[in-house]
Amino acid sequence: MIGCGILFYRLGKRSESDFFLAGRGLPWWLPASSVYATHTAVDTPMWVTGVIYKHGLTGIWYTFFSAWCAISAFVSTRIFRRSLAYTQAEWQSIRFSGLGSELLRGWMTGWQLFMTMFNMGWVGIAMGMICNYLFGWPNWMGLVIFSSVCAIYVLTAGYWGVVMADFQQGIVAFSAILIVSVWGVVAAGGPHEIALKLDVMGQSWRLNPFHFSGWFSGDFPVAWFLTMMVIALVGGFGMGTSIDWYLEAQRIQSARSVRDASYSIWWGTALVVIRNSIWAAAVLAFFVMFPNIKETSEYELGWFRLGFDYLPIGMLGFFFAAILAIHLSTVSSVLNLGSMYATRDLYHHYINPNASQKKLVGIGRLSTILILLGSFLLGLMMEEITKWLIFALWIMVAGVWLPNILQVVWWRFNAWGYLSAWIANLGLSWLVVWILPAFGVIPALPDYLQFWALMVLTALIYIPVTFITRPESMDDLVKYYVMSRPLGVWGPVRREAERQGLLEQVVGIE
Amino acid sequence: MALIRRKWTPAAADEWTREDWITIVLSPLAYITLAIGVALSIFLLKIGFIVLGAGVVLTALMHWVIDPKLKTISEDYEKKQKDYLEELEKIIRWEEIK
Repeated sequence: MIGCGILFYRLGKRSESDFFLAGRGLPWWLPASSVYATHTAVDTPMWVTGVIYKHGLTGIWYTFFSAWCAISAFVSTRIFRRSLAYTQAEWQSIRFSGLGSELLRGWMTGWQLFMTMFNMGWVGIAMGMICNYLFGWPNWMGLVIFSSVCAIYVLTAGYWGVVMADFQQGIVAFSAILIVSVWGVVAAGGPHEIALKLDVMGQSWRLNPFHFSGWFSGDFPVAWFLTMMVIALVGGFGMGTSIDWYLEAQRIQSARSVRDASYSIWWGTALVVIRNSIWAAAVLAFFVMFPNIKETSEYELGWFRLGFDYLPIGMLGFFFAAILAIHLSTVSSVLNLGSMYATRDLYHHYINPNASQKKLVGIGRLSTILILLGSFLLGLMMEEITKWLIFALWIMVAGVWLPNILQVVWWRFNAWGYLSAWIANLGLSWLVVWILPAFGVIPALPDYLQFWALMVLTALIYIPVTFITRPESMDDLVKYYVMSRPLGVWGPVRREAERQGLLEQVVGIE
Repeated sequence: MALIRRKWTPAAADEWTREDWITIVLSPLAYITLAIGVALSIFLLKIGFIVLGAGVVLTALMHWVIDPKLKTISEDYEKKQKDYLEELEKIIRWEEIK
């Protein structure tokens, strides 16, 4: 993997486009393998194991948030690829105009820089914990050593190194997941035996993916399932409705054509969905063998235990190598993404707009090091800040979910509307989730009600703001429309584009 | 006119059409059936194999519907990409103020 850095060093250093997008020339299967590898992190099997152990196969729907790509692959992916923007922040500066768009670009860049360091710290400390469990190392060692190794090929070859290593890591990771899971199922007595044991234990409902606790009551009601489906699937019409969008956006732009971009997102996510189901089967095998574990932190390690406790001794090295591959693929992608925001949106746009390509690649490398150091700091603080940051991630989804769609599908939605949604969401989420329930003004709401409440309350602010501020400049909207051809309510912009003779009239299209 | 159009002009392919909406419906159904089908097939359940089979068919059908259109969009767009990239670089260098 480190060899990728050396092999692709010459390609990575050619230009900003090469260092961050592999020159926009990749066939669909390369970014697809990167989508899959990146979204297989060391904490992912713990999380999937947690929800499947608790809810049986119904827990699969918790992992289904990645299915936003089902619609995105053919809607927002196509629109984003045609914009040619390096980042989501850059796309917003094309879609919007004036001061609002620059404010948005700055805000989005700062937020993404922080998020990349946070994500790296998060998965890095998870690796530290695994090394602590396996070798007795202090947590910081696993965090620092493996992220630093990964930084070698990100520094030297940029996105070229990331995507080529991801391809290998994806194959290693998928093979390991398949082998360990099948091994686990066999160790539990085989498929028929697991079904039989579940039946004897009175737990056969765990094989039903639609076993809910009621329409609105219990720990997994139908209302929560439907809310998750709406968030995931309808979110595909927008950009940024999932935190994974920002990573996928880089893969979309690295594909050599619009078609390759669509298929890379669709197939990369299809692998994620299939992987989750393989894991789910293995976790049910683990449940049959260890049905009475009460501690979440204990049963979350179930899939790892299948590997370390049941694989033959000779395969343990392969299993650890696979865990390492899983870890490095996530860290490398996030590192290069953060560096792209720092270079393209901060340095290139605001600090040195006339920088040479050589200089931009140098800044890319410098920012890679700085983000790496920042991730160490956040990783070591993780236990103290996790609760706060999960809250931050939640509020990022709830109140700005609809604005993230509106910015794609509605011509009249402007930068001020989007900014006001972010600001309103920050305040309202504190009120709805913590402050009002703490003072007994409203009861503590279940997750799905928090989501709908925040969505409606935020809309009461950003919709009026959108209408009392001016629309974006029609000339800029026309340029954007002709280039990106967005789906949705774009009638006035389209008519203006036709009036200017920029669109060919098409007869016979419904 | 055929239900699914197989031949496209670049201008027609740029529009959002029935084929896009059919794909938008088929694609999530493919993911859902693949997810359930794989999990249940590992337990050798008959319903698992049926659902998995449906997932494979839906995936193939989705590609059959959308691929000719995506190919046309891509071929046409690649011709314009160079000009658009030049414009993007002007924006980042503030040569074109938005």
